[in-house]
Amino acid sequence: MLEIGRLTVRFGGVTALDAVGLVAGQGELVGLIGPNGAGKSTLFDCVTRRRDPDDGMVLVAGQDVLGLPPHRVAACGIARTFQHPAVFPRLSVRENVMTGAHRFGAGGFWRAAFAWERERRLRARADEVLDLFGLLPLGDHPADGLPYGVLKRVEIARAVAAEPRLLLLDEPAGGLGPEEALALAGLIRDLHRATGMTVVVVEHHMEFVLGLCERLVCLDVGHKIADGPTYLVRRDPAVIAACLGAR
Amino acid sequence: MSAVTGHPTGHPTGHRRPAVGELAGDRRRSWPYPRTTLGVAAAAAVLVPFVLPPYPLYQVTLVLVYVVALLGLDLVAGHGGQVSLGHGAFFGIGAYAAAILLWLGVPYPVTLPVAGLVAYGLGHAFGRPAVRLSGVYLAVVTFAVAVAVPPLIRRFAPGGAMGLPVRTPGAPSFTGLADDQWVYLLVLAVAAAAFAVMRSVVRSRAGRSLAALRADPGAAELLGIRPAATRAHAFAGSAMYAGLAGCLFTWTTGFVAPESFTVNLSITLLAGIVIGGLGTVSGAVVGAVVVTFLPAPGLVSGLALILVLAVAPGGVTGLARRAPALFRKDGP
Repeated sequence: MLEIGRLTVRFGGVTALDAVGLVAGQGELVGLIGPNGAGKSTLFDCVTRRRDPDDGMVLVAGQDVLGLPPHRVAACGIARTFQHPAVFPRLSVRENVMTGAHRFGAGGFWRAAFAWERERRLRARADEVLDLFGLLPLGDHPADGLPYGVLKRVEIARAVAAEPRLLLLDEPAGGLGPEEALALAGLIRDLHRATGMTVVVVEHHMEFVLGLCERLVCLDVGHKIADGPTYLVRRDPAVIAACLGAR
Repeated sequence: MSAVTGHPTGHPTGHRRPAVGELAGDRRRSWPYPRTTLGVAAAAAVLVPFVLPPYPLYQVTLVLVYVVALLGLDLVAGHGGQVSLGHGAFFGIGAYAAAILLWLGVPYPVTLPVAGLVAYGLGHAFGRPAVRLSGVYLAVVTFAVAVAVPPLIRRFAPGGAMGLPVRTPGAPSFTGLADDQWVYLLVLAVAAAAFAVMRSVVRSRAGRSLAALRADPGAAELLGIRPAATRAHAFAGSAMYAGLAGCLFTWTTGFVAPESFTVNLSITLLAGIVIGGLGTVSGAVVGAVVVTFLPAPGLVSGLALILVLAVAPGGVTGLARRAPALFRKDGP
């Protein structure tokens, strides 16, 4: 589903990603771990066309992503969340999720205003997703002013509403309390099972990924230092030194 | 697929907004009686021409004309978060398009769509290159348009600097109405349609796209929203509203002159929408009253703009919206 080959990104003299390869199969749930500055978010940025890599290739479902303009990324079946939830504060929670389903909406700017039927279906679809995330009672609430943990869930709900084949979650548990994180892990696992989409999770919160992912990939200063089943990677001395030992 | 259970989401904490609506903070319910207000306003609007003497009626007609212009401007300024200093020029272009057609003897119903389309086309032509660049460029490009249009009119339009008097739409004899009452009702009908269309635009996928682009263009683009195309359509539609309003202005006043459509008008319109309240239809109505009745456009509207930005960034509408909360026990 996701194939990344020799991905290289340099910022001036610093190499953020150095010929990193990563393959995630259809329906896999992969954790991407590593200390700060390991290049995890940079990798997501390349896959979602927010950043042009200096070298390498990214294929999603066999399609070359690097040739796409950013607004075509969603249509390719890729959705992501951000480290700091990028929800739209002036829109309600429901409207945020409906924006996630933008690609299923009616064509042009003016046609959209009169596509009542399409709008009604989008709304119903958004409500299903909201219900799944336990956000339905907050549907009409403006995203502005909601607590951080709720915003994180709104953002994931918005990404899910795009019905992606590949879902990239950037630190979904960041800033959450232990109970909230646990609940979120359960939700992501359920979602993954039910939809069969490929999920890649970047996370610092080690218990979160260890409990959630079948497979872990560890990056350290732009290099891939480990890739394998969770139970093996968590015992890898290099990984322990880079991520786990630091704790 | 089971949802997370036992997770408290129904009663979130951390509201920054006063609790007013059905669920605290629901912005659409912040004003408690939207339907009643709309019904009363509509009834009052229809009765106005049968109550008011001619000159006040003329002024109220102008308010409605500016409502249409400000509804359009709000799409760019309020929902898109961009500054247009050119809406006075699009207003003038619409006004002159209508005036020239009337002068040529074209029946007045034809002038409205033509004025709208001319402004729409020019809005696309100027907006499309400008919106690709960051926000301030749109202000600069539109400012240039606002500066360029009056001299062009003076040089090339019939009437030149003296202006062009035209016949205003006359009431059909079967109605038994005076001409000014008829014009008022025409303008009211156009304004009501403009209001309904704009309301459905901002509540649709198009409106959400604009709001998303304003908040976080990167995240919006990833969801499939095309920034340049969306903003260009919004700007062109906004210019079209200004053009339609210009046509209504010609119908109302029966006289157009280049001096009416200078940069001052653009600034007054912008001041009007900011004072009225950005991003709300009621803000356009309040703003139109401000634009019509401000004694000396320019200095006074500039000062009023500064005052509003200092004490009430939400404009008059924002103040009114917060008012109910002030009377609640658990108000802010």
